[in-house]
Amino acid sequence: MLLNILKTTTLVALTSCMLHASEFTVQAEKDRKALVEYTLAKFKNAEENRDRFFPYSTDDELKNNIQKDVKFEDFSMGNYAFNIQGQYSYNEIKDFPPYEELVEKGEAIYEENEALQACFPDTTIAGDYPYFDQTKKEVVTLTSAINECITNSGEKAWNEKKGKMAFVQGYFASSTQEADKKVNIKIESAEAEEAYKRGKEFYYTQRGYLKLSCATCHVQGAGKRVRNESLSQLVGQTTHFPVYRLKWGANSIEAGIGTLERRMSGCVKDQGQVDLETNSTEMKELLYFMAYMSNGMNVDGPDVRK
Amino acid sequence: MKKLYSTIAATGLALAISGCSSNSLSIAEMEKLNEKQICNLEVHGVAGVLASAEKYNAFAKEHRVEFKRLGMTTSEYIAGAKKAIETNSKTVPLTNNTKPTKNSVSVSYAAQRACKFAVSALTLKAEGKKTWRAAVPGDEFQY
Repeated sequence: MLLNILKTTTLVALTSCMLHASEFTVQAEKDRKALVEYTLAKFKNAEENRDRFFPYSTDDELKNNIQKDVKFEDFSMGNYAFNIQGQYSYNEIKDFPPYEELVEKGEAIYEENEALQACFPDTTIAGDYPYFDQTKKEVVTLTSAINECITNSGEKAWNEKKGKMAFVQGYFASSTQEADKKVNIKIESAEAEEAYKRGKEFYYTQRGYLKLSCATCHVQGAGKRVRNESLSQLVGQTTHFPVYRLKWGANSIEAGIGTLERRMSGCVKDQGQVDLETNSTEMKELLYFMAYMSNGMNVDGPDVRK
Repeated sequence: MKKLYSTIAATGLALAISGCSSNSLSIAEMEKLNEKQICNLEVHGVAGVLASAEKYNAFAKEHRVEFKRLGMTTSEYIAGAKKAIETNSKTVPLTNNTKPTKNSVSVSYAAQRACKFAVSALTLKAEGKKTWRAAVPGDEFQY
């Protein structure tokens, strides 16, 4: 009898928790589904949908450089999901990915660091970050979690953009990819939902002297050309980090790999504003929103980009 | 009861002081700023425009929306213009991420750019509060 009451109470408590948790994701899910729907429609057939999505693109661009019928799961490749010309060089580089030795470095650092092993016994967790910490009442990114672990063990905090931080994240991402895990961002409280909403507002707000929002280029502008580049889309934008960028690696291979914070700092600077601090609340909440938009996609980092 | 009254009075006083001493700019105040008037060199002169640049850029920094163009922040334009005035120089050397470049601009140009950047950062912040949803698929963005 007592056991039955206990079981029922536990079941009711769990159901109530789940219902409450899902209540906080209602808006986020609505946002994500609308974004995915928009992105799929945009890359269904660029040539046929010129008036709707690509009024200023050339015939040649729409016919020969934008892939048709791009599938949801392909968007984890960033702009290489649709950028036909870019796919050639991407596939060539992927034959001998320049980040492989850096992932090995990350693994070696992890194997030698007892604190890291204690903090992250499971290395297949790249898709679970950022998350909202209910105790601290803030978003925790993989970068901030690693640095907290490192500093708690008495070590000096690592550079949040590159070096050891990116190597170890590369190892985590690679392990997550091998384990076939997906992006799984959770919004489980009202505070977490507020953090998500602030991140969303940041993403869609125009800023800087160029008056650009992140969305200008990566939602409305996705697929359009900026000089020789095709702009990537928000869906799948966080799945492949850390990334090895040819631009970053121009002087040394080790400097070539960088965290999502490094990339986003550069993006905000490109909007014509003082870049976000990598550990700021704005940055963490922005990444929380962005990662949620990739929920359900395969983690496929690290990857290579121009 | 006396204790309660004194606590309420102390809290009220503290709030009043903090409210009075706060120089922060509200979104409504940002929205009303007129960049062309505030940064008019003919009306306010270089010193006046530079003073406005300093004043409004402090708010822009507070709201973390300070502008940066080609590696040079509004603060650096202001510092460069002030230094040029102090040293009687006619030009402000441009920098890129604090490193000097080969280029320079006149003091009045630097002061006005700093002022325009400082004020625009704030008006854009106010505008953004009203317009951001227009870009959200599933919200106000139509395609």
